[in-house]
Amino acid sequence: MTAPIILNNVSVRLGESLALDDVSLRLDQQRIAVIGSNGSGKSTFARLLGGLVPPTTGSLSVHGVDPVTQSKELRRLVGVVFSNPDAQIIMPTVAEDAAFSLRGEKLPKAESAERVRIALEEFGLTDLADRAAHDLSGGQKQLLALCGAVIRRPQLMIADEPTAYLDARNSRLIANHLLAPNDRRLVLVTHDLTLAERCDVAVLFENGRLTGVGDPAEIAARYEASLQC
Amino acid sequence: MLTLYRPGTSWFYRAPAGPKAFALLLVVLGVSLLPSTYSCAALAGGVTVLAYLVSGVGLVELGRQVVGVRWIIVITLAFQVLFVPMEPAIANTARVTAAIVIAALLVLTTRVADLLDALERGLRPFIRFGLDPARIALVLAVAITTVPVLTRLAVGVREAQRARGVRAGLVSFVIPFLVVSLKHADELGDALTARGVN
Amino acid sequence: MSDHTTTPAKQTGATSASGAAATSAGTGAAGTAAAAGNATSAASAGSASSTTSPASARPTGQSRLRIDATDIARIAVFAAIMAVLGLPAGIAVGSVPITAQTLGVMLAGAILGAWRGALSMVVFLVLVAIGLPLLAGGHGGIGVFVGPSAGYLFGWIIGAFVVGAIVHAAGRKLTWLRTSIGVVIGGIVVVYAVGIPVQAAVTRLPLGQTAVQSLIFIPGDLIKAVIAVAITMTLVRAYPRAFRSRSRA
Repeated sequence: MTAPIILNNVSVRLGESLALDDVSLRLDQQRIAVIGSNGSGKSTFARLLGGLVPPTTGSLSVHGVDPVTQSKELRRLVGVVFSNPDAQIIMPTVAEDAAFSLRGEKLPKAESAERVRIALEEFGLTDLADRAAHDLSGGQKQLLALCGAVIRRPQLMIADEPTAYLDARNSRLIANHLLAPNDRRLVLVTHDLTLAERCDVAVLFENGRLTGVGDPAEIAARYEASLQC
Repeated sequence: MLTLYRPGTSWFYRAPAGPKAFALLLVVLGVSLLPSTYSCAALAGGVTVLAYLVSGVGLVELGRQVVGVRWIIVITLAFQVLFVPMEPAIANTARVTAAIVIAALLVLTTRVADLLDALERGLRPFIRFGLDPARIALVLAVAITTVPVLTRLAVGVREAQRARGVRAGLVSFVIPFLVVSLKHADELGDALTARGVN
Repeated sequence: MSDHTTTPAKQTGATSASGAAATSAGTGAAGTAAAAGNATSAASAGSASSTTSPASARPTGQSRLRIDATDIARIAVFAAIMAVLGLPAGIAVGSVPITAQTLGVMLAGAILGAWRGALSMVVFLVLVAIGLPLLAGGHGGIGVFVGPSAGYLFGWIIGAFVVGAIVHAAGRKLTWLRTSIGVVIGGIVVVYAVGIPVQAAVTRLPLGQTAVQSLIFIPGDLIKAVIAVAITMTLVRAYPRAFRSRSRA
């Protein structure tokens, strides 16, 4: 298994508010669920690991890479899927959008075409390859977003509420793809506690502070208990 | 996607986009420099008809194009006759109309994707001046994919307002529309970063 | 679990007052081989260290004009906003249908700033040139760039730049007065200053008479300027993240 995710006293200030407040932790497990209420800091945690927001203070290491100073290495290491299917489509057609992720790798044309073909097949998008990406359904768009992340062969997949915009059926489809047995590490930010319980470990955030790390069922139960009002 | 392209099969459609653009530019420039006389107005009209025939686009499409710019013709002519004699007024209007309509041949016969490629190739010599053609092509591609998304967001904003009984007005529409659009831009920026654009 | 003593973060802690730029420079100096490459981009890293951008971690020194992923998204999205503002469905004020696209020129400069505002206009006009019917009334194609209104379109680019340069002259803090001056000078004066001579040249009418002819659009543009200022100053409160500062953290 790969190197762990380590945070040392990390705080992230966004404008006036402290989105993450002095978080330290070490994660070795393969599938990590991140839970907490809106504004708890769980999304900032995902963005921090994905190199999308720098720590204001403190330091971190993602699989041995420092996102602040080694952004190039981090990009090669990490794939990210976001909530909004519409905001993740970059190129006009499905195949072009999938291929876009390989743009920086300077592969020979044939090899990149082959990787696009395999990835589209994995996500059942082969028949849609030449369709306009924006004509797809929400679930298909999210599959395409996932495809665009997986095609880069990341060691770490970060999914920030990937099912938030989807119906039950598509949510399950996306979740099954993310949680299917593979050798990637997964950081899954989710409101869906049943998804959290399918992970190896759960991390709980409240008001920017880390309040729990441990067995998913136990952490999820603790989170539910804290919701009684 | 909505474009001005009209599918066709003549040689002009198949001609490479770069040289085609250059050739049309020369013709448009030639027409634009004609003196303001009746004979030159007739010449401009003749060149236009010839261009639509030779390119295989045809006179029906020419008619459609002229109808499409009718307001430019009317307004230009109206102000010309106010200020100058009849001959230059008509000649100037004919010259301007001919230039616009001939230039339209480029987008009528060339796909957007081909024009984008030609543009990227055409910009390559400027790399030494710090221009990055691949990045420029990327911005254009992202803009093209974003137009339909924002159109949908705009419709959504209007519907939400109508549901709440907000009267249609520019300010009450633009502010929420800008907020959702700029949020979309931030999300898109994250997606671009996550997929390797620095 | 989170109460260790701070060993790795000692430098950033000491310099945290100056934000992410200091973080980046501090960790760079802490011994990475890439530190020399990073040092050259200290200024640009500082400019981009807002909430949305990871660009403080740029790997190599880059020129000030280099646009990052966030810029690409904003420029592209504003070009698309211009397209929506020209939709045939028409946004009507009272019963007079007006094109809201000149409003878009003013907003691009006021929100994105000079360079990114001007670039968003360039992108929009390139889309028009390659055949998307995005100008109000469904016009497009390179024909519009040889017609009488070509100069006004080019004027949009310079106009958006001037709006941004004036509105953002003092950095992040926008004032009603400076925003109003910027919008009127960039969004109206500059656009006409470029548009009228080109129109005169294309239609071969004297400059003075062309100017008289274009006067009929001034009242509408003044209304749009008022609207642009109101929208900009509202947006400062409604979505402050939109006004990403260029020169400070």
